[in-house]
Amino acid sequence: MPDVRLEPIDAYRYRIPRDAAAGMRTDVIVYASALLIEQIQKDQSLTQAMNVATLPGIVGPSLAMPDIHQGYGFPIGGVAATDVDYGVVSPGGVGFDINCGVRLVRSTLTEADVRPRLKDLINQIFRDVPCGTGGEGRVKVKRGEIDDALRKGARWMVENGYGDARDAEFAEAGGALDGAIPNKVSDRAKERGTPQLGTLGSGNHFLEVQYVEEVHDRRAAAAMRLEQGQVVVLIHSGSRGLGHQICTDYVALMNKVMPNYKITLPDRQLACAPTRSPEGESYLGAMAAAANFAWANRQGILHFLRGAFRRVFSEDARLELIYDVCHNIAKRETYEVDGVRREVLVHRKGATRAFPPEHREIPSDYRTIGQPVFIPGSMGTASWVLVGQQRAMQETFGSVCHGAGRLLSRTAVRKGKDARQEQRKLEASGILVRSESRDGILEELPEAYKNVDEVIEVVHQAGLAKKVARLRPMGVIKG
Amino acid sequence: MSYEDGSPLSFEFLDHPADIGFRAYGPSLPGLFINCACALVSLVHDVSDITSAQRIPIAAEGSDYESLLVNFLNEVLYYIDGKRLAFGDFTIQELDDVHINCIGLGEPRDNERHRSKVVVKAVTYHQLRIAREGDHWIAEVYVDI
Repeated sequence: MPDVRLEPIDAYRYRIPRDAAAGMRTDVIVYASALLIEQIQKDQSLTQAMNVATLPGIVGPSLAMPDIHQGYGFPIGGVAATDVDYGVVSPGGVGFDINCGVRLVRSTLTEADVRPRLKDLINQIFRDVPCGTGGEGRVKVKRGEIDDALRKGARWMVENGYGDARDAEFAEAGGALDGAIPNKVSDRAKERGTPQLGTLGSGNHFLEVQYVEEVHDRRAAAAMRLEQGQVVVLIHSGSRGLGHQICTDYVALMNKVMPNYKITLPDRQLACAPTRSPEGESYLGAMAAAANFAWANRQGILHFLRGAFRRVFSEDARLELIYDVCHNIAKRETYEVDGVRREVLVHRKGATRAFPPEHREIPSDYRTIGQPVFIPGSMGTASWVLVGQQRAMQETFGSVCHGAGRLLSRTAVRKGKDARQEQRKLEASGILVRSESRDGILEELPEAYKNVDEVIEVVHQAGLAKKVARLRPMGVIKG
Repeated sequence: MSYEDGSPLSFEFLDHPADIGFRAYGPSLPGLFINCACALVSLVHDVSDITSAQRIPIAAEGSDYESLLVNFLNEVLYYIDGKRLAFGDFTIQELDDVHINCIGLGEPRDNERHRSKVVVKAVTYHQLRIAREGDHWIAEVYVDI
């Protein structure tokens, strides 16, 4: 990667000053340890974070989380806030998978209950939860109903028999963003996405059966009703073809209209329009609709998962949603910036909201501990449960990382490896993997990712979020 | 797949830290666009057995070659993912700086014969390159998966 002027601030923070490149309107702040910063510099993610710093109306620094890696336009693991009146909205700053996110579900079972039936359970989930790569999903949406789903999100699924009333409450924004405008979503986006409702997708999307390996914060774990040895399920999916098509449609539109607003950018994938422009407002209405579709999608997956658990463990196995967070989103939020309270549009591209204790947007069950944050690692290592902390509000627009972050490309990790052999290796370490494709297993092998524990240490030590529990995978379903 | 323009090498895949790309070649601009579309299809599913039972008109516009190529490939992707079609070949009817009209030859996707490889979310502008080099055209395209 090209030389980047990185100035260490402390053990977990680095700065790229705004005069490091022409056009930068603000600094880049990178959250990383000495080891991670070395790995981060191997791809173009920091150059991308510098490009983000050129966005008109950016407020505060362009932020890079410790899991940052090269994306398209925006880096993955990047956060940027723009002024709601004078700034821009960039569909690329949200990404093609709008509201890609994770939900964590607790079970009433322990590792000891599940281990003897693990193979049956994983096979049953693989049958019941469609990956959707080879065809249609199992959620029936009648003609004309999709707009309702785009407005109501997870609640629409619950109303149509795919879940419990409680499910919709325990999601960021209550599982539906206000301001969704279904008629700003193209017919082809609806056509592409509707049959995929309730499906996992491929790439890095997955469903993982895990158990709580270590509890680090007893009070917060108790509030989430988590204890050591308990089985939980982590679901990672997004808005499927609907979100992909919306982003495609609006990147094309904004590239077309940018000259009208006299905006020039170093990368066309950053294409943007003023937030208050007709194009900006249309995008935000369509984006909210896609976000709601993603919550509905993860709700559908949870419903099918419950069926699989019931079939294997009878009615004794209950699954309850702990929380659901999004990774790719732009949201209007209010922060104190340089002593002034300002409403900003926070673009989180591969980053998780992490509100501190007492924030009014946190469900009352978690109000005293902070917002639950779930960070998936890789399928052979671990995932983490955290809670948001006050410094995230002061420094990162209430955001933390979203994963371990890729280290090796898909081709590099596949090289010289055989999927069956790798699957057996994982099995020997107690992790069963089922995937639609062999490449799916190889491309997501643990060595493709940074060390998730190292990433978590950075956000914990930097005071952005606090460790609650470490989760160990037992079974993985991949698209 | 067939490549009617007879270029010796049609396309190859490129590495990306999180996703994937391809480099396509063509003796002419239409040949290049066809090979880019073929590269995209072969990322998504098995292409060894595709009939040309259906003719699907595919059109796109752009402000230059780059945006025309990205918009065209995203249009092809819509038919792959939204209409679930498998394309065996493409014929270009009209191509200038800002328009393309093309016919995709293919059939409805059959999960057995056209086994899925990966879901491509979108075609991007990331490190996009399209250029004439000597007597042929070359393009580099990255997709989000």
